[in-house]
Amino acid sequence: MEAVLTGPKVAAAAKGGAFPARRLGFGESVRVGSGIGRVGFDAAMRRNRAIRVGAGGFRAELVKKTNESPRKTNSAQTGPVELFVGLPMDVASARGGVNHAKAIAAGLRALKLLGAYGVELPIFWAAAQPDADPAQFDWASHAALIEMARAAGLRVRATLCLHGSHRRPGHHEEYLSFAVDELPVLGGRKPVEAFEDFFRSFRSAFADFFGSTITGITVSLGPNGELRYPSFPPVTGGHQFTGVGEFQCYDKYMLAQLKQHAEQSGQPLWGLSGPHDAPGYNQSPDSTNFFRDHGGSWETPYADFFLSWYSQQLVNHGDRILSIASNIFGELPVEISGKVPLLHWWRGTRSRPAELTAGFYNTDGRNGYDTVAKMFARNSCAMVIPGMDLLDREQPRELRCSPESLLSEIVGSCGKHGVKVLGENSSLVRAPAGGFDQIKANISAGNSKVESFTYNRMGAEFFSPEHWPQFTAFMRSMVHEEMDSDDLPSNEKGMLSPSAGSASQKEREMQAV
Amino acid sequence: MSIVRLKPILHHLLPIENPRLSPRELRRSELPGSIRCCSKPRVSVSRGLRRSDPLRSLPIIRAGVAPTPSLTEDDQATEVVYSETFLLKRSQAVEGKVSVRLDAAEEDGSRWRLVIGCNLPGKWILHWGVTYHDERGSEWDQPPPEMWPPESVPIKDYAIETPLKTSSSNPEEQVLHEVQIDFDSSVQIGAIHFVLKEEETGAWFQHKGRDFRITLRDTFKEESSLGGTQGFSIWPGALEQISTLLKPEGSSPMTQETLRGGREAKQWNSRIAGLYEEFSISKEEPVQNLMTVTVRKSNDTEKKLVQFDTDIPGEVTVHWGVCKDDSKKWEIPPTPHPPATKLFRSKALQTSLQPKENGRGSWGIFPVAQESLGLLFVLKLDKYTWLKNDGTDFYIPLINVSGSSTSNSQEQIGNKQMDSSQGSVSTEEAKPVVKNIEYTHEIISEIRNLVTDISSKNGKGANTKEAQESILEEIEKLAAEAYKIFRSSALGFVEETVSHAEPSKPAVQICSGTGSGYEILCQGFNWESHKSGRWFLELGAKAEELASLGFTVIWLPPPTESVSPEGYMPKDLYNLNSRYGSMEELRDLVKRFHEVGIKVLGDVVLNHRCAHYKNQNGIWNIFGGRLNWDDRAIVADDPHFHGRGNKSSGDHFHAAPNIDHSQEFVRRDLKEWLCWLREEIGYDGWRLDFVRGFWGGYVKDYLEATEPFFAVGEYWDSLSYTYSEMDYNQDAHRQRIIDWINATNGTAGAFDVTTKGILHSALGRCEYWRLSDQKGKPPGVIGWWPSRAVTFIENHDTGSTQGHWRFPSGKEMQGYAYTLTHPGTPAVFYDHIFSHYQPEISRLISVRRRQEIHCRSKIKIIKAERDVYAAEIDEKVTVKIGPGHYEPPNGPKNWVLAAEGKDYKVWETS
Repeated sequence: MEAVLTGPKVAAAAKGGAFPARRLGFGESVRVGSGIGRVGFDAAMRRNRAIRVGAGGFRAELVKKTNESPRKTNSAQTGPVELFVGLPMDVASARGGVNHAKAIAAGLRALKLLGAYGVELPIFWAAAQPDADPAQFDWASHAALIEMARAAGLRVRATLCLHGSHRRPGHHEEYLSFAVDELPVLGGRKPVEAFEDFFRSFRSAFADFFGSTITGITVSLGPNGELRYPSFPPVTGGHQFTGVGEFQCYDKYMLAQLKQHAEQSGQPLWGLSGPHDAPGYNQSPDSTNFFRDHGGSWETPYADFFLSWYSQQLVNHGDRILSIASNIFGELPVEISGKVPLLHWWRGTRSRPAELTAGFYNTDGRNGYDTVAKMFARNSCAMVIPGMDLLDREQPRELRCSPESLLSEIVGSCGKHGVKVLGENSSLVRAPAGGFDQIKANISAGNSKVESFTYNRMGAEFFSPEHWPQFTAFMRSMVHEEMDSDDLPSNEKGMLSPSAGSASQKEREMQAV
Repeated sequence: MSIVRLKPILHHLLPIENPRLSPRELRRSELPGSIRCCSKPRVSVSRGLRRSDPLRSLPIIRAGVAPTPSLTEDDQATEVVYSETFLLKRSQAVEGKVSVRLDAAEEDGSRWRLVIGCNLPGKWILHWGVTYHDERGSEWDQPPPEMWPPESVPIKDYAIETPLKTSSSNPEEQVLHEVQIDFDSSVQIGAIHFVLKEEETGAWFQHKGRDFRITLRDTFKEESSLGGTQGFSIWPGALEQISTLLKPEGSSPMTQETLRGGREAKQWNSRIAGLYEEFSISKEEPVQNLMTVTVRKSNDTEKKLVQFDTDIPGEVTVHWGVCKDDSKKWEIPPTPHPPATKLFRSKALQTSLQPKENGRGSWGIFPVAQESLGLLFVLKLDKYTWLKNDGTDFYIPLINVSGSSTSNSQEQIGNKQMDSSQGSVSTEEAKPVVKNIEYTHEIISEIRNLVTDISSKNGKGANTKEAQESILEEIEKLAAEAYKIFRSSALGFVEETVSHAEPSKPAVQICSGTGSGYEILCQGFNWESHKSGRWFLELGAKAEELASLGFTVIWLPPPTESVSPEGYMPKDLYNLNSRYGSMEELRDLVKRFHEVGIKVLGDVVLNHRCAHYKNQNGIWNIFGGRLNWDDRAIVADDPHFHGRGNKSSGDHFHAAPNIDHSQEFVRRDLKEWLCWLREEIGYDGWRLDFVRGFWGGYVKDYLEATEPFFAVGEYWDSLSYTYSEMDYNQDAHRQRIIDWINATNGTAGAFDVTTKGILHSALGRCEYWRLSDQKGKPPGVIGWWPSRAVTFIENHDTGSTQGHWRFPSGKEMQGYAYTLTHPGTPAVFYDHIFSHYQPEISRLISVRRRQEIHCRSKIKIIKAERDVYAAEIDEKVTVKIGPGHYEPPNGPKNWVLAAEGKDYKVWETS
């Protein structure tokens, strides 16, 4: 059911035999006797979406002996949602170690038993290249982690983080200006060349794992891994950033390119600086003229010139990185992806300043995500979109947020251009919030293009008594949904708690809608 | 169905252990039927496992009938899924006697012999000295050399030590050890003082916390009026005193006054010869017992059975609870509880074990719900003796025993690997640090085993409910373990444990940590209040006004005699005539506040106490008054006061001797004093001074003994700063306060020093963003444990005329707009109440009361930006502080401005 490949990856499908399939209908798995044998492919199809997520959990399918390529189908209708959990940001330590190794091991086992499909492993350039020598990479700790995941029967989506690249993982604010992608600023080398080295080294280090354990590679495209300008300061803790952000065009390389572009456009005066009447990071849209709903200068020809150039620079940057990734990993049976941000605050205004400053020219009446989705499609890459847990009604009213409409707009653009969507949440979901319901709604909706969902992120809070039971219930409801009643052991209590059961009931109703 | 089954077993069968109760015997006949009936459906499910045998399914009966339930026997009946035997070390008081005999050694009475004996086994040393004048507080001297028995060794220059010899002279009296001191009647000593020392343990044996004292010569003038020669008159005096010492054995601590009473006796002449007196002493001896806890799978899948078996003689009560997660937070198990179970302060259960028939120990079986992760317990032997597991609660993992459900089928499927995986899982430990690669390999192989096991379980078609439950339990256990490791490597407090302690119940529930939950506290004095000498009278005149402002609790200044006029250097705790007024005036004041409906907190200084006298080395460490302790009541690690107690359990207060709360007699005396204050003065609760100085567990002890309505401790230490800039994250600071509250078991609240500190920076420097922590909660103690946080912006130390840490000037009302609208229990300082702020404070208090904001109110922070902070409390009050703009949106709620002032506004829903 998931054998169809697109674009350059068809070649990989041919060598599919090399890769253990993660699942190929239950008919072939080793279960004998008991009613379980009946839980099979048919049931899955009948239910339209997603059998597998959890089936793996309570029945821990055997994956070892099947012989089918794990490549994915393009017809999203039948693909089940694969559930991933992000590993801690600091999971790989220097010198080949694994931080909290015992906890990670226990966590991996718990996730496998719960029915998770895989984990997301953040790999920081700096952690992989601890020494100054640009040719030396050290993959020991990541290798250990991937081996742990494989041993636990989990797949890995590796996120190659270019940010935080100055040997300080976690410092996401450091990202080179997009204007220098092709300039020899790194000790005589271009950043894109350095990225390429990083990618190639990863590829050769883990050649044996692609397709079997490593099923996806996400490349970071900007701050926090997202395709955007660093238009607002890194978000720390619960201190949500609420300002409009600032345009990032004031370094000498950006200004030089702007100047050149303006001269080519016959408007040399427009190339001298960015907009002079845009507010500061923390200000509200109305504080200066540029973003005003009515009569704001964002609607002037100058602004159109500037914003078109500014957003195109971002798309070009994304294109450069994704095409490198495509070149290097395209042959492999892995899914390549990049992440876009969900800049949902101030979306209720006409100018949508948070999106503009971050590089998405997506104002009232203008769809800025089409260009982006097209670029992803060109590189045969899937798009990671965060914020699947966010609800409009839980946002501060005064910020005029609308994560739901923004999400559907981006997903819509992806659908238009055939780009697959990998969902993520923005933060751990807490009990009273409707976050898990929202996630389920987003990833289960009948016409959704969401093919996998990554829940971020493992850590103390994730396993805390406040959070873990909610998460368990979520996972189990995803599982239960996919099992028919006759697949369940016949006993009066059932294996699921009442809450999970009812959630799944709700889920069914939702599907019926 | 399964729940029903266990109940009859426990309720009907357990009592059967006594076969004499024939009515119960009758009921027994009902049982097999009911069991069979219930077991039947299971038989098919469990594919004919032997548990379907109704006889075997009743281990409880067997346990009950057997005089000493033997574990091996029961093994046959139900699988033991967990068993652990704990070695219980405790000390047991061995009662013995110290005898003092004074005889004339010569017929003419020119020489006398003092024989001090002890009938407890041990290597005893008499540590003794003399005083030449029988005055209170006078120092010991070494006895004159002619008095020294053989083998005596001098101790410094004020005492000698003489070993007691095994005595053969009086076998019938069972005196095992004694020492003889011979001396001449002409010797000019006033009294002999001694304590006994046990050489092996180094323990000291005193008489009611003080020396044994034998008065030989009285210096009081009236003595001579008793007649007789000077030489003889001393002896009977001494004997009389000894006998007086004996009589009130077990009563309240001996005072000098009662000792002197002996002098009144006229009959001494007749009792001069052969007088012999005994003192009871008790020695702590180490005793070892065993407690075996066995967890069995019950036929009722809802339950597990936990069996306790111990050889501790006498009555044993298991004080227990269960925990649902790894935080080991005690919770009451769901009913039904075992018979003979009492609920203890709605925190734990107390179940008495039943004596075994052979009289050697006791036992009990508790059913525990399946979902409990573990069972926590401590043992209670009598009112004062609690046994813990090396200082912590005993913990019996229940979820770990997931093997229980699979071990049945184990025989069938013969899956050995399952065991090994469980073994490896259970031996995991928290090691959060970086691991090397070999180590990772180990883990990987463990994971492999596990996955194989799971697969084989499934492969064998063991997809039964049991198997699934075992997987679920496994998941929970793994998560709990991961949580433990992550948490231990993450710094600081995990708020989850606290949020469990914060059930959101609006119902009024009194507990000493919170009062009713709706308290508003007034600090009823400042640093100058002592100056008039009649503060109690002056404050009484304001009682009505304070009540009308809305205060429910008032904190009065420390009432005891004190070296410093403000009262914080107490001397004689029982002397309640202070610079604030007399004891009578204090009593009237408390009565006055009670009339207007305000509870009263006494400010009690338990950390330190000023001495009355110097010791022989000129160190002020001898106390007088009713609690005339000596240097054994002082902590040993304070170099200034030469204490002989144990090391301090907290920080030092350097200006006065720090009291050693680890001493039993100190605690007993302090409890008695606190109870006396409650009784005599009518205090409703306590404000506890400088609680950093000693362990919070002692506070718990004091609070449980005195059962106050409300108690709050002053745990004041510094916030963290980096280069004179206050850190945004003050979690470590509030953690320390929370730790203290935790140590008191939540029986006391604590002043929220963290919130005050953060308000200083937020308001003083226009950094209102500080008022939301990284999780969007209030950054002080109120963000973590609001019900135990007593918020304040100023007190007698920080403000008033001392001004050690004054609130930013002019921002006080913003501070109160914050504390009086937020969760926690707000305190308002006297100086602010009686100032031009009063109308504004009054308005804020009335909003709080009108909207019924309480210590557990829910808060949602709306804004925490540079110049403005806004929050919504219980969805009915919104507050904004700071110069920036904020207005609550006009939505479904209709917000009405309720109070406003410079840079703050408060709205309420209409």
